[in-house]
Amino acid sequence: MYPLEIIDYIIVIVYLSGMIGVGLWFAKKHTDFEDFFLAGRSLTTPILITTLISTYYGIDVLFGDTQLAFTDGVVAWFGYARPTYAFFLIAALLLAKRLRENDFKSLPDILYFYYGDNARYVGALTSFIYSLPALSLYGFGMLAEVVLGLDPIIGMFVLGGIALVYTLTGGFWAVALTDSIQFVMMCIVIAISFPFAMSFIGGFDSMIELLPESYFDTLGDLNIFLIIIYASTGLSILVEPTFYQRIFAAKSYKNVRNALIIGIFIWGSYDWIITVLAMSAKTAVIQGVLPSSVAPDAALLTIVIAALPAGIVGLFIAGVLSTEMSTLDSYCLVAGGNVSYDIYRPAFKPEVSDKELITVTRYGVLLSWILGFGIATAFQQMLGLWVFLSSILISSTLVPILLGLYIKSFRKPLAGFISSASGLFSTVILNIYIMLKGTFDPSEETYIVTWFGIDFLQEFVMYITVPISLAGFFIGLLIESRGD
Amino acid sequence: MSYWEIFTWLTVIMLGIGSIVVFMFFVKDIRHILKKFKKGKNEL
Repeated sequence: MYPLEIIDYIIVIVYLSGMIGVGLWFAKKHTDFEDFFLAGRSLTTPILITTLISTYYGIDVLFGDTQLAFTDGVVAWFGYARPTYAFFLIAALLLAKRLRENDFKSLPDILYFYYGDNARYVGALTSFIYSLPALSLYGFGMLAEVVLGLDPIIGMFVLGGIALVYTLTGGFWAVALTDSIQFVMMCIVIAISFPFAMSFIGGFDSMIELLPESYFDTLGDLNIFLIIIYASTGLSILVEPTFYQRIFAAKSYKNVRNALIIGIFIWGSYDWIITVLAMSAKTAVIQGVLPSSVAPDAALLTIVIAALPAGIVGLFIAGVLSTEMSTLDSYCLVAGGNVSYDIYRPAFKPEVSDKELITVTRYGVLLSWILGFGIATAFQQMLGLWVFLSSILISSTLVPILLGLYIKSFRKPLAGFISSASGLFSTVILNIYIMLKGTFDPSEETYIVTWFGIDFLQEFVMYITVPISLAGFFIGLLIESRGD
Repeated sequence: MSYWEIFTWLTVIMLGIGSIVVFMFFVKDIRHILKKFKKGKNEL
């Protein structure tokens, strides 16, 4: 536990109370499902910027990315973070416009529009699984233990519970509004932390003098193959359910495009500063002002709390909590929408009223939170879980959604269904196989299985399953064309 | 001052000032939206 002053606790408590207040304010103000789930499709560019940035950046970015910066240097930004901006640009200029051409409400809605019910249900299932907030809750547990000295389970319950309350009561308006407050907090505290961290280690030049030269090599010691693997994780943005939800909730395509283009500069700045902060933590370890036992994924937290004065530490902790809350609330809401709009409505009650749909969405939010809580307390390998969830989503939706959006003649129900189902099942089977037959490598934090003398990491699964999904798509097309 | 440091200060300014400017525009928009919320959903 890090030593905190009373003022720090007061700031954190005021912040958490404010979040609940926002949710309660919106509690009775929704009159239809579109308003509850998509904020009435009225998000402007500034609201989109704040909600996109705060949602997509959880503490996995804050601590995960900085882990690489702590151990390898600037390659964390040049090799890992920077390529994802290219995907954001593709999303801004190519994907968002297509997605706005129809009144979609969710990712499975697109699959239904192009391929019918079967593909929709597969999409709803994978989107729901992907959106379970296990990682966010786990992050809350870790933060509560490390920063506040609480039991991780209590931390998950209390901090995650606050995000649950305002999401359940306030819907997407509460999520968007709290995201915006959380956005400014997380950006400001990171910007403020830089001069304090530099003062703590004796200036930027100390970092250049003490760190190995490889820390300033833009490609570092990582081989090009690993960099390609890291960079390709940015593909997930092209089928990210919370990202889609914000595109659908925007006032117009222009709002989305402008928000993403402006957002890239803010994302880039944020990523670069946390990279430098992690490198300054490494410098402090070399200088002996921080203990050598600092864990790479706790480097950022350690240097910032050591360097910042009382009061600003409280702001920083509130900013870190913000980072995670903005992620948790958004995913819970998407999962709730999958249960109500994508499964309950078409499968059980097509004529459902908006009021009932909102109620079922709230049950779905609660269900996703409970399942996420169960997973977060039962599993230890969170990185492996994240890889599993991401590969399920990408493998089952990337091919049918992109082909459906861009090639009209490919919009055949069987093609979409076989593609999504084969992507889903091959991912589940391969992941289970690797976790059962492989060995866990603590240094890589992943399962590895050896095939034909080559080490195959769990992260590589989607390089097999996406082609399977593509093959499934064309098999479906072939069967349909023969049937015609 | 090295190029690395100059670049870092530029990103600090971009993140700090950029986020405040975006937030100010957000406040302007949200005030308008909240007023409409109070008047009634149909005007949204």
